[in-house]
Amino acid sequence: MTAERVDLDADTVGRDLVALVLTVVELLRQLMERQAIRRIDQGDLTDDQVERIGRTLMLLDERMAELRDHHGLSPEDLNLDLGPLGTLLPRD
Amino acid sequence: MTAAPCTTGVPTATDVPTATDASTATCVFAVCRGGDPAALEGMPGHEEGARVRLLPLGSLTAVVQDVPADRFSEEAVRERLSDGAELERCARTHHAVVSAAARCAPTVPLPLATLYLGDERARAALGKREQHLHAALDRIEGRAEWAVKAYTVPARPDAPAPAGKPEGPAAPASSSPDGPGSGRAYLERVRSRKRACDLRQEAALRAAERVDTALRGLAVAARRLRLHGPGPDRDRRTQMLNAAYLVDGDRDRELAAAVGRLRQEAEADGVRIEVSGPWVPYSFVDGGGTGDLGC
Repeated sequence: MTAERVDLDADTVGRDLVALVLTVVELLRQLMERQAIRRIDQGDLTDDQVERIGRTLMLLDERMAELRDHHGLSPEDLNLDLGPLGTLLPRD
Repeated sequence: MTAAPCTTGVPTATDVPTATDASTATCVFAVCRGGDPAALEGMPGHEEGARVRLLPLGSLTAVVQDVPADRFSEEAVRERLSDGAELERCARTHHAVVSAAARCAPTVPLPLATLYLGDERARAALGKREQHLHAALDRIEGRAEWAVKAYTVPARPDAPAPAGKPEGPAAPASSSPDGPGSGRAYLERVRSRKRACDLRQEAALRAAERVDTALRGLAVAARRLRLHGPGPDRDRRTQMLNAAYLVDGDRDRELAAAVGRLRQEAEADGVRIEVSGPWVPYSFVDGGGTGDLGC
């Protein structure tokens, strides 16, 4: 079914594990981003809170990019094809 | 593949071949009415079987082939059709015979691997469906199926989307990425990226609906089929429309002109249209109606 299933080959298992862990972290990060935007739209955050959350998410984004680079992964590598459900993360 | 539920006549437990007729089964490809199907006799079918022949069914003619029963038992067929290469071979053979039949006479294609244990059973089963087959022939005679698929074109990095470039309109004038306001600015960038993505998606959906509406206007009947998931390769397209249209044989040009026009319009919304046809109207055998197949 899924063409991009995680292949637990001995040579690549370390990298695949990193990719899997980063995928989960990236999913959570994107969910937090969406939630933050939703909360801002609802108007229940103070300016200070918005600023703090935004900065935290931005730093997390930068850190993710560094980790990806370090392990030679592209943003597309941090995605899972869930077959008929589409992909785990939005593709754009 | 169209699913005329009861005709996938893979032998069932009650149909276990007797010792005398165990060796061959009758594989039915299609049913024709009138025309000159004699030309089909002797063409090759599935490679394990005999040559294609005709089986008269009263007012209709079935296009059949004798195949070895052991290679076409329920289990063997299930196994073969779950193997990609084998499935392709079977489907191509089936399609070749069906297409040849359709060139000779008005033809109802039957589903792949429609098997009966001998001519008598085939005749009995198809005889029961005679009315249905006539209705299908009335519906598809002189018409062809066109398959139309629409995909989103993946956004190119140079597309005019507000990508991760500095400061959207709402961002404050802070120049330092770590300066005051940078957290809010980051969230605004995320928001506009997401909004652009949503807008693209909505535009693509609307474009696909426009295509469908326009083509329905030209068609006698239309069917929306299940959307395909992402392809096996790193195919980043998303399918937005998977439809089949039953079109009168003399409206081919009109269809081509409409598709040309729609293609240009859709391109502006990031949607690419693929058209294939004319096909034997596989998707319109059942008419999408009551489905009274009598078994």
